[in-house]
Amino acid sequence: MAYILAGVLSLSGALGTLLLLMPNKMNVVQVLRDDQILYTVYINAEDERFIRIDYGDSYNLLEIKDGKIRVSEAGCPDNTCVKMSWLSSSAPIVCLPNHLVIKFASDYDGIDAVVG
Amino acid sequence: MNKKIRRMTELALLTAIALIIFVVELQIPNLSPVAGVKLGLANIITVYAVYRCKWSEAALMLLARVLLGSFFSSNPSALLYSLSGGTFCLLGMLPLKKIIPINRLWLCSVFGAVLHNLGQLTAASLIMKTAAVWFYLPPLVLSGCIAGALTGLAAQLVIKRTEKIK
Repeated sequence: MAYILAGVLSLSGALGTLLLLMPNKMNVVQVLRDDQILYTVYINAEDERFIRIDYGDSYNLLEIKDGKIRVSEAGCPDNTCVKMSWLSSSAPIVCLPNHLVIKFASDYDGIDAVVG
Repeated sequence: MNKKIRRMTELALLTAIALIIFVVELQIPNLSPVAGVKLGLANIITVYAVYRCKWSEAALMLLARVLLGSFFSSNPSALLYSLSGGTFCLLGMLPLKKIIPINRLWLCSVFGAVLHNLGQLTAASLIMKTAAVWFYLPPLVLSGCIAGALTGLAAQLVIKRTEKIK
């Protein structure tokens, strides 16, 4: 019983990981802190630029280039968000210490953001 | 020798070993860009304690290791995630130990590791007030299964060896 459960867990984990890593690029990117939208970026329409977002003594430097977005520099201790590199799938870039989430918005959210 | 002192020394020794393993693992560069994917080698001692100590002793040892470990990790914001992960892990493994015999300890460790990662994600989604972190559930479940099986096997070896000493 426990064996089956462990097997199912690892298989679904592997399958989910594969699905998650499939490239899934969209046009609208949202930058959120504590579920508040800080920026809505239409990355294909953007010129090359940097956005610096401060958080206390720390910061994240976002780089937008060729229709892509990433965290190019951060003041957090682990720098996980920098290592995650360019946003390319539905897996969001997360910076836990600075409470920052960078993710593609679904089309619905995109339209919503334009109207709002 | 006084039994109480002997017990206390044993627990202190185990906590110290767990802490050393934890600090050594900090030096190993992360294999994956996903936060929370790691071997968790210090949990060899946690799993060992779940099977060989009282539940209160296992809980106190884990608490001491997590608190002291956060001093060494230079990442104090990770403390909340570790605490929540450790709580989930213990709450799951302590009842599971009644069902899973000690010679299949590695299986219990798998569930413990998955629960640990689940606890971390819960803490992250509460602290960041966002559901976006749940996208990381699949890789964290997978890595929990692998890491949990490995640390569980290691704990099983430890128990086999120490049985001869006692």
